[in-house]
Amino acid sequence: MTLTVILIPLITALFLFFSEAADPLVRRFLGLLGTVSTFLVALYLPGTPGMSSLWLPGVNVYFALSPDGASAVLVLVASLVMIPTALYASGRVERRTGSFLALLLIMQAGLNGIFLAKDLILFYLFWELTLIPSLMMLGIWGGTKRRQAVQKYLIYAVTGSFLMLVGMLALRPLSGAASYRLEDLLAVTPALPAGTQLWIFLLFTLAFAVKLPLWPLHSWLPDFHEQNHPSGVADVAGTLYKVGGWGFFAWALPLLPGAAAVVAPVLLVLAAFTAVYAAVIATSQTNLKRLLAYASLSHMGLVGVGLFGLHLTGLSGAIYLLAAQMVSTGGLFLLSGMLYERRKTFELSEYGGLSRSAPALAAVTLFVLFTSIGVPGLANFPGEFMSLLGAFHASPWLAALATLSVIAAGVYGVNLYQRLYQDRETQPVADLRELELAVLVPILAGILWLGLAPGPQLERIEVQTRIIAQTVQPGEEIPMVTLGGRP
Amino acid sequence: MTFPGPDINWVAFTPPLVLLLTAALAVLFALYQESGRLTAQLSLLGLVVAALFNLHLFQVVRQTDAFTSFGLRYLADTPAIAFNFVILIGTVLAVLMSYHYLERADLDHPEYYPLILLSACGAMVMVAAGDLITLLLGLEIMSLAVYVLSAWRQGSRESEEAGMKYFLLGAFASAFLVYGIALLYGASGHFVYAEIAAVLRGDGFDQLLLATLGGMLVLAGLAFKAALAPFHQWAPDAYTGAPTPVTAFMSVVVKAAAIAALLRIFSSVFPDLSPLVGQVFAVLVALTLVLGNLAALFQRGVKRMLAYSAVAHAGYLGLAVLAAGTVGTRAAIWYLTAYTLMNVGAFAVLSLIADRNDRGDDLERFAGLGRMKPGLAAALTVFLLSLAGIPPLAGFTGKILVFQAALQAGYVALAIIGIVMSVVAVVYYFRVVAVMYFREPEYELPAISSWATSMAIVVTVAGTVLLGIFPGWWYGLLQAGRQLLAGM
Repeated sequence: MTLTVILIPLITALFLFFSEAADPLVRRFLGLLGTVSTFLVALYLPGTPGMSSLWLPGVNVYFALSPDGASAVLVLVASLVMIPTALYASGRVERRTGSFLALLLIMQAGLNGIFLAKDLILFYLFWELTLIPSLMMLGIWGGTKRRQAVQKYLIYAVTGSFLMLVGMLALRPLSGAASYRLEDLLAVTPALPAGTQLWIFLLFTLAFAVKLPLWPLHSWLPDFHEQNHPSGVADVAGTLYKVGGWGFFAWALPLLPGAAAVVAPVLLVLAAFTAVYAAVIATSQTNLKRLLAYASLSHMGLVGVGLFGLHLTGLSGAIYLLAAQMVSTGGLFLLSGMLYERRKTFELSEYGGLSRSAPALAAVTLFVLFTSIGVPGLANFPGEFMSLLGAFHASPWLAALATLSVIAAGVYGVNLYQRLYQDRETQPVADLRELELAVLVPILAGILWLGLAPGPQLERIEVQTRIIAQTVQPGEEIPMVTLGGRP
Repeated sequence: MTFPGPDINWVAFTPPLVLLLTAALAVLFALYQESGRLTAQLSLLGLVVAALFNLHLFQVVRQTDAFTSFGLRYLADTPAIAFNFVILIGTVLAVLMSYHYLERADLDHPEYYPLILLSACGAMVMVAAGDLITLLLGLEIMSLAVYVLSAWRQGSRESEEAGMKYFLLGAFASAFLVYGIALLYGASGHFVYAEIAAVLRGDGFDQLLLATLGGMLVLAGLAFKAALAPFHQWAPDAYTGAPTPVTAFMSVVVKAAAIAALLRIFSSVFPDLSPLVGQVFAVLVALTLVLGNLAALFQRGVKRMLAYSAVAHAGYLGLAVLAAGTVGTRAAIWYLTAYTLMNVGAFAVLSLIADRNDRGDDLERFAGLGRMKPGLAAALTVFLLSLAGIPPLAGFTGKILVFQAALQAGYVALAIIGIVMSVVAVVYYFRVVAVMYFREPEYELPAISSWATSMAIVVTVAGTVLLGIFPGWWYGLLQAGRQLLAGM
């Protein structure tokens, strides 16, 4: 059962690779078939038993997957976002559509693997597996400066993850764990000496901070988004692939609590700075995609703020925000693709007054922008609020600083809407077409769902959060703080 | 005084024996043949028979104690049998690659295949050697054939120079080895590893300096064959100058044999020498990792890049050798299996893209290959990503095993050097992938088709992917039966 959310996309991808000569509708059908059925399985994932079988006997690596706690939530939201993404890709990517969709689905398989893996080495396997399709999408379908962007991205990602591998491989011999499975590691790694924990945690941090991303390891991100295919589809995949926060949450923090307690305050500063810095930079961007890249970076800063507060509320909120921004940032990138199709540019100076000719497009954009800003009742709000609340327990000052990013988000969000849709009217454009409407409906539904009913998902996340909070701060009385049921 | 008759256990050395007989037959055969094709088919047949005998040997060794011959001088334990399989696979693939290549490149002399078989036979002897003389014997059988093969492209200065260089330096390395053997014998009075180790460990042994010096020289001789820096100088030239199938053969089979010999010595004789030997070897491994990878980064030609990358991979194998006593042996064999598949595969693709004289392997020639020849490009991508250690391919699992072994043996610094250097490796491997897919075609490629080479590519792709996804079964086989023996 758990394995199916990885196998379905992989098998679909295999068919898609050989569908280059087929009718475009066949490709669209295949893409939808793969993503929709994955989503349907993901709906039933919570509560199903995981799997665990010996994969590499010599070093006791297990093929262990489980949809416990937050894993199922992230798989569910990511699968939801993948449906409109694949649909839009099937209509907008002109060249070698089949291969593009195939890579997209391989990414989905890898992402689901990242979220579900319960063995450290298996987690790494999916982590690295996902890199290749994202590189290929950027390299084959990217813009004119894609080669530099690929190189930068590759070097950042690989340096981080390879060094992390050393830390991972050292963990078992040093701790004497029976295998690389999470449960076996959890039993012994928290007892490792402080020095050992520290260097392994730092190796993990390097990889996760690149993928979170966290200042100063973020500089691949703007180029990555700017150079990706103008449909914005690859950017959505890239947004889903910002799994550094998940790495901290699921592995680094619980496995190495001693080091986490030492390093987290420093990371909290970096995360708060990232949130504000990126939001401020975003206000001054003239390129739509770069603006969105920085906006997304700012949100990831908030995810970090929630995580490194090491507080129950913040940890849950961070993961909820991670899930919510998949929908909201993903939606914005898809909208940027729709705008590009109309004007063939991402330069904001070329836009203006579109709300008169495309009122529906304007309304949807405003809605998604509001989500991104963190308006209550929409997807991002619960996560942002809880992240900041959690950080407040660790450092009121840093939490206050990070809150500034929410204000800055209001500035760049509203400003962006004005520059695109208001002011003097430029050339009129077409309003939403049927395909675009079909693409946006799941996004809007997801935003409302995550915004209005955060309770069930938060509860699932919290099961896992409590384990972390207990290992990181043992003995401390942890009150059950949740926004469950609150609109 | 009773004089025991020779202790010959025929089953133990059937695989190399079959290769020897096939080679002898093929030479006779070659006298009456213009084309090498029939000789190639005969060789393939011999290789398959040898593989069957090897399989039989594996069954025998698992059930009985019949695994040595000539006293303790020839050992057929599970590692030796596994190495035999690796050597056989490498040789079969090399023969398949050569099948049409030789005609195309005007190099079709029927002696080619017997030489390949002889070399593989020597490699098998080396792998099973339980004493220094058997080791030397195997090494010379293997090397003499390869010297000739590497200079196979007669009239090409590059190839002749490569062969000459390889021969002269190789002879030098053999001299090191012989001298080292002599010193070890002088110090201990024995050739068999187990007996040397027993003397070294015994009370009142006072020739440690002499024995250590001998060990160092043996190490130098074997490091040369494994292409470990700073004894790697011959490798890039020989690999580039030799015909591509020979390059594939050399980079795989010769390396496997040398690594096998190192594993045996490292788990028997060397632990009882001065710890200096291990430290020196660690330095060699570090140097190999750094020099091999950095040099590969700066190559324009893909073949030369692969040549340096082959040097770098010797470094990763060296990491496993350092942990020889424990999990290192299995890690090394596993890594070599993966390396054999992906490296030969990469060279096989290369042989279908380069000109008939092996020129024209510039990076530019690969531009747009993903469009022009999607199958070849996809295969090469699999090989390169696997060589770079990207999951879920065989190279990744190999890397995990090797680094795990090194970390377990306490070589943290070396493991970190190795990992940092693999980042460099990703850059140069991925550069080729990027050129294939991210750029438009610039060259008209020669229309080469060869079912034999294609078969080799299909086999290697399947192996690289399947070993990566299901690494357990091969590892399980390696765990069965008699583990690494050193004549003890």
